[in-house]
Amino acid sequence: MSIEAINEQLLRAIGVGVALLDLSDLKFRFFNDTFKEWFSEIELGQQLGDVFPDIDAAGVRRALDEEGQFTGEASFRVRRRTMTIAMTVNPALDGKERVAVLVCQNISRIKELESMIDSYSMMVERNTREIKREKEQVEKLLLNMMPRSVYEEYKTFGVVTPRTYDHVAVLCLDFADFSGTVARQDPGVIVSELNDIYTAFDRIGDQFGCERIKTVGDLYITVAGMPDPSERSVQSISDAAVRFIRYLEQRNRSHPIDWNCRIGLASGSVIGSVVGVQKYIYDVFGPAVADAMRLREHAGLMEIVASEDFAARFGDDHPTVSAGEGRTADGKSVNLVRLLADTDAVGR
Amino acid sequence: MFDKYGGFSVVSKIVLDLYERLLDDDDLGPFFDDVEFAKIVDHQTKFVSSVMGGPAAYTDNQIEKLHSHLAISGGHFDQLAAILAEVLKDHGVADEDAAEIVGAFAARRHLVVNR
Repeated sequence: MSIEAINEQLLRAIGVGVALLDLSDLKFRFFNDTFKEWFSEIELGQQLGDVFPDIDAAGVRRALDEEGQFTGEASFRVRRRTMTIAMTVNPALDGKERVAVLVCQNISRIKELESMIDSYSMMVERNTREIKREKEQVEKLLLNMMPRSVYEEYKTFGVVTPRTYDHVAVLCLDFADFSGTVARQDPGVIVSELNDIYTAFDRIGDQFGCERIKTVGDLYITVAGMPDPSERSVQSISDAAVRFIRYLEQRNRSHPIDWNCRIGLASGSVIGSVVGVQKYIYDVFGPAVADAMRLREHAGLMEIVASEDFAARFGDDHPTVSAGEGRTADGKSVNLVRLLADTDAVGR
Repeated sequence: MFDKYGGFSVVSKIVLDLYERLLDDDDLGPFFDDVEFAKIVDHQTKFVSSVMGGPAAYTDNQIEKLHSHLAISGGHFDQLAAILAEVLKDHGVADEDAAEIVGAFAARRHLVVNR
């Protein structure tokens, strides 16, 4: 067998589609078995464009002239499968005639895998987005329940170490005749009203560096001076208290339901911790919280009550009037004062 | 199950094998005559991933919509279930896991078989 014959047999047998084209008119002069297997209808003398309608014959010729090679891809159906081939056309000499050698590799499997990876990546990306969104929601929820620094500790270590904070100022607020209001109104209205009011309180508190700890029905507790200590915690909580009253007064003028609160202020040490395992909640408790709760009972409608000692610490920031004698949570007798909210002293 | 069997690297082989066998099947193959292969692959990747508990979820509504224009009979469905079981077995999925996957598939029968 001659070398030419061996070469031809090799060309016919390999798994790569090989064809020879006349360079002048891009007509097929030869194709191997693999090529014939892919394009069963093909005949010698057909043009490149007849077999690959998507390939621009003029473009092929231009690429051969300018770059000495043409590369491209073509997809077609073989039975019900989509087949994609990568094709390369190179000019060559066949004896003295100029021909083009067309080499085609079957890249269908690569294309299938690409499609699969695309599909899978989209699924994973969507899942990642969903997880991110859920994580943000959980974070938002937890930040609603605890200060950010506590949340960071909880996130990092899975636990929060109970800690005593000294010199924390506490504000306890509740609404007069809350049970009566609840009984008279639709539950949805009550929840929406409380939501509005507490959101406004949170905003005001935030402005003065206070951190809301919890709400239990009509009880709203916020603190200043924790978790980061502040020398101005008493002023901050007093400023917030005065703003709460002003906000409610203004709101009551334009809303059908009158909300009348009572506020007790105190300062001292508190313990802060996440309480519970399943239904965990960040809570503060201790003498300052108990005192603020107790002093609140001495407050009339829309009044803020604190001890004289407490008032001495905010100096001239808020005018006060004497409010008689009262008792702290541990039964100690103290002189009380009432903070006046109807001045423009707040926020200096 | 998705992770147990090696995640996407195994799912990809199952998907391609399922794709091959479906196209070769005389009864089921014609359903894919006019469907772009990228779409079949996409559909099957999501389908196999979701029945194996991977990062995909098909709602009943989506499945119903995807198949509503096809005249799928009970026989076609059974045939696909059999091919799926065969593919899973050939890729080393344990019998009980394969049964669970085919079961999850069978549970959606009413969504694709023309009533």
